[in-house]
Amino acid sequence: MIGVAPPAYDPAAPKTANTLPVGAPATVRAYVAELFRRHRRAFLVLIGVNTASVMASLVGPWLLGDLVQRVSDGARELHLPLVLSLFALALAVQAVFVREVRLRGAMLGERMLADLREDFLVRSVGLPPGVLERAGTGDLLSRITTDIDRLANAMREAVPQLAIGVVWVVLLLGGLVVTVPPLAPAVLVAVPLLVVGCRWYYKRAPSAYRSEAAGYAAVAAALAETVDAGRTVEAHRLGDRRIELSERRVREWTAWERYTLWLRSVLFPVITLTHATVLASVLMIGGVFVLRGWIGVGQLTTGALIAQMLVDPVNLILRWYDELQVAQVSLARLVGVRDIEPGAGEESLAPDGRDVRAERVRFGYREGVDVLRQVSLEVAPGTRLALVGPSGAGKSTLGRLLAGIYAPGDGRITLGGAELSRMPAERVRSHVALVNQEHHVFVGSLRDNLLLARTDAVDAELWAALGAVDADGWARALDDGLDTEVGSGGTALTPAQAQQIALARLVLADPHTLVLDEATSLLDPRAARHLERSLARVLDGRTVVAIAHRLHTAHDADVIAVVENGRISELGSHDELVAAEGAYAALWRSWHG
Amino acid sequence: MQIQDLPYPDPGVPDARSGPRFLWWLARNQLGGQLKSLAWGLLHFVAVSALPFCVGLSVQAVVDRSGTRLALTGGLLALCAFCIALGDTFLHRTAVTNWITAAARVQQLLARKAAVLGSALTRRVAAGEVVAVSTGDVEKIGWFVEAVSRFTAAALTVVVVCVALLLYQPALGVVVAAGLPVVALAVLPLLPRATRRADFQREKAGRATELASDTVAGLRVLRGIGGEDLFLDRYRRASQEVRHAAVRSARMWSLIAAVQTLLPGVLMIVVVWYGVHLARQGRITIGELVTVYSSVMVLSYPLQNFHEIAMAYSFSRPSAKRAARVLSLERATDTEGVRGADVPSGDLYDPATGLLAPAGRLTAVVCGDPDAAGLLAERLGGHPAEQDTSVLLGGVPLDELPLDTARTAVLVQDKDPVLLSGSLRELLDVPASGKVSAQDALAAAQCGDVLDALAQASLDAEDPMGTRITERGRSLSGGQRQRLALARSLITDPEVLVLDEPTSAVDSHTEARIAQGVRGLREGRTTVVFTSSPLLLDHADRVVLVHEGRVVAVGVHRELVHSEPRYRAVVTRETEEEAVLSGVLKELEEIEETA
Repeated sequence: MIGVAPPAYDPAAPKTANTLPVGAPATVRAYVAELFRRHRRAFLVLIGVNTASVMASLVGPWLLGDLVQRVSDGARELHLPLVLSLFALALAVQAVFVREVRLRGAMLGERMLADLREDFLVRSVGLPPGVLERAGTGDLLSRITTDIDRLANAMREAVPQLAIGVVWVVLLLGGLVVTVPPLAPAVLVAVPLLVVGCRWYYKRAPSAYRSEAAGYAAVAAALAETVDAGRTVEAHRLGDRRIELSERRVREWTAWERYTLWLRSVLFPVITLTHATVLASVLMIGGVFVLRGWIGVGQLTTGALIAQMLVDPVNLILRWYDELQVAQVSLARLVGVRDIEPGAGEESLAPDGRDVRAERVRFGYREGVDVLRQVSLEVAPGTRLALVGPSGAGKSTLGRLLAGIYAPGDGRITLGGAELSRMPAERVRSHVALVNQEHHVFVGSLRDNLLLARTDAVDAELWAALGAVDADGWARALDDGLDTEVGSGGTALTPAQAQQIALARLVLADPHTLVLDEATSLLDPRAARHLERSLARVLDGRTVVAIAHRLHTAHDADVIAVVENGRISELGSHDELVAAEGAYAALWRSWHG
Repeated sequence: MQIQDLPYPDPGVPDARSGPRFLWWLARNQLGGQLKSLAWGLLHFVAVSALPFCVGLSVQAVVDRSGTRLALTGGLLALCAFCIALGDTFLHRTAVTNWITAAARVQQLLARKAAVLGSALTRRVAAGEVVAVSTGDVEKIGWFVEAVSRFTAAALTVVVVCVALLLYQPALGVVVAAGLPVVALAVLPLLPRATRRADFQREKAGRATELASDTVAGLRVLRGIGGEDLFLDRYRRASQEVRHAAVRSARMWSLIAAVQTLLPGVLMIVVVWYGVHLARQGRITIGELVTVYSSVMVLSYPLQNFHEIAMAYSFSRPSAKRAARVLSLERATDTEGVRGADVPSGDLYDPATGLLAPAGRLTAVVCGDPDAAGLLAERLGGHPAEQDTSVLLGGVPLDELPLDTARTAVLVQDKDPVLLSGSLRELLDVPASGKVSAQDALAAAQCGDVLDALAQASLDAEDPMGTRITERGRSLSGGQRQRLALARSLITDPEVLVLDEPTSAVDSHTEARIAQGVRGLREGRTTVVFTSSPLLLDHADRVVLVHEGRVVAVGVHRELVHSEPRYRAVVTRETEEEAVLSGVLKELEEIEETA
């Protein structure tokens, strides 16, 4: 066995671009420092109880050494009862403090971990809507699941255990120096071996473990997808390919397991030999010292026992050190969210009136690629504007600009004369709401799902909102009414019911302008028709910008804007556009037969 | 089996009659690895246990003022160190190999099971179980299977050391041999409660993670309408519950740690007290006393394996049970078929509803009830979940064909086709006739803007076919997902293609173009589309209206929309009042015409 090279394929390599920033080293350092400061007291307590427990553990070897010395000197009086009582007392103290160390370590770790995950969510829910729209929630989701998970071990175990281990080693060495000063240098004989071995190992280990973990997760992910896509897999006869894929994932994962096993195959003998060298040098050098009469046989015994005790803390440090290195990467990803400006907006900016106006708006997601060019538009209060046009023409983008989610590159979008993109997100949404296909039902009670729109609403108002969208019928039939648990894992709601909840939220939030991005298009036709009635009631009296995937939505609008290639190519009422014989008219005829 | 030879060419047929039987089957299938691990474990543990003898011998040599014996002891120590290092490294290697081969075998078995079960897995309970076994249970199963040989080696070592101590120093050896079992077994009663608390903590942590990811998944909704503080408070509560559960669990574990310190300590005091007496009477030497003391210290190491095996068993038992249950799942229908594997061709006919899709034509099916449409679409492919009168293709009952042949002949794309993650090239690389190129299919399904969107999100924008689709295509909009799924089905180019609402999330402009594209690409092939969109219906050769489980009207769109009120009600979305109104108007027209 000459060695194993790291596998060529790295499952931990990023597959999609990071859509959110990763924390710079300085940010991470500052965060860690803040975390330590916040928990300084707990750290000090942990170190205190740990010191007590290690000190107590040193009593045994010290007393035994003393006894050995006196027995070998042939002393008549050993004070055995006293010595044994001391022994028992030290043991009791040690047991109590060992328990304290474990407990305090866990308490500290758990508190830090809780802080970290809560901090992260606080930051996440404060992200500007524009950042979320652009980045999607996938990257954020992987941070809150995978990265928090990886950090859990580090915070829960590695940080407290390392603190314990370091204190422990220092105290043991201190004990050795105090009881047998001449033997202390003998312990250091093994240090160079350990340092060389560890440097070699820790240079490779953290990234290898990350790849190994990602490889293992990929095995489970491949299977989960096969299961999830059961119908598709069967319809397209992909069964054999899925098996092949799973086996490829197993091969990729185990290749990394093999590599990390090789790394440990180097590290383990180094550690074992270090421990043995420490013990041997204490015994041999100490033995010679005793023979020369420089130290007593009792001191030798104490020294040898302490040398044996060094095994545990050294292993503890080595065991948790790489966990900490792996955790650093995850921490950087979590802390990275803090680097995004929360987008405060100008508090003083408030709309005067309800008319929405776009003036010569240009917008693009990427440099040099414009999605919208020179778009001007005016929506009077209470009118309904439908945006129609082929996929990718820029309808949805225009809708998001009108809802204040993105800021235009050039030009301005105003609500009542005030620029939307410069207002705080919280103010924008009290006036304008974007309703899209994403009708997320949150895990929790039906009440929570509604309350988010108006947190001070009482039950009667919630029922009124459900009634306004025709949803009170099924909601009253639920076993626990508003307390019914819904969302994933709870009572399953149909897509139509989920959409009704989204509409009821709008009733509660009561914005005067709505941007609808084909809210009902994913539903089957029958449910959609039912919903449209609910929707009609919600829309009543509000300004509506509807992104229409279906022509009947456009038909009912006051004004229709046909968006093609990032421009508005036709603008007018249904009858005007049909009469104009343009693109809209052609489409309408084929639709209506 | 070595790690580099994984995966298994054939993971075998598991004994899944019960959890323990499954564990036993796994262990039996790696007997060689288990024996190797046992042998290296013995070398390691015995060598570790020999260290105290070296310490005792050195002390005694010094007491006797013998430099030669001290040097000899040094040699013995070096030998021990060598054996410990060798044993440790190879015990670890064999143990990890056993763990990995067991885990890989279970993962492979699961993958095969999932592929065979296919659509039968869509029942959510079963699907969730398979995933739970793969993500959580495999590790625990592997852990227990691997730990068996390590535990055996440790247990044998403890026995060997006790016997050796008895022979070496009978008086003190008796004390140690009597005390050790107590030390080893004392914490076992605490373990079930500790593992229960650990499970409870995991459950709470799972709940908190679920809340967090749910909040993040709905974050756009939350940021759009408000209520962030409500959800933050809720998460904080869940997070604090995790913390409390974890601390509660830590209380138990810290108690165990205290007991594990206390009991060997008590044994040590007894040894010292009795040993010093014996030493003063001259019945044992100083070196022997130190040896016994040091042995008690070192023995805590192999003794850890006693707790570990108990924990591994209590963790792995429910896991093995679940794995056995999943691996014994079977499909409800016979997939072998009673006919040969020749792919039939001709008209597709469903005797139950009277639906006929003539060979080589585009048939559109309009069905007011979407659930009924889904079931009918499923039946058209043969081998449905619930057995019924079989659909005939060219007169051959599809249910009597082997499952694979039936799927080759008829491809049913359901309402919610799943995009599998991977590159676009991999996504579109499905078993196919080879007559339809990816480019043509993508063009027919109007996927141009999807390619642009993918290129924008990818690391390498040069090669659009190399861009990655995330799981379930979540990075794409509903309409984009539908169009890619349609392109995939078009590439397959089956004898009969059944599409259930393939464009429900696509805008009207694009839908009209897709209708033309699909029609062009499927020229001369049999295609059935379930839809209520006039833009698609207008392109069909034949439109069939299914009402309450029977075909009630057949014709073309323009004809049916005028002649059949039930048809008009479904496809034009007119409300009941409008229907009444148009009925009146029509009557008026007819009166005018007759007049």
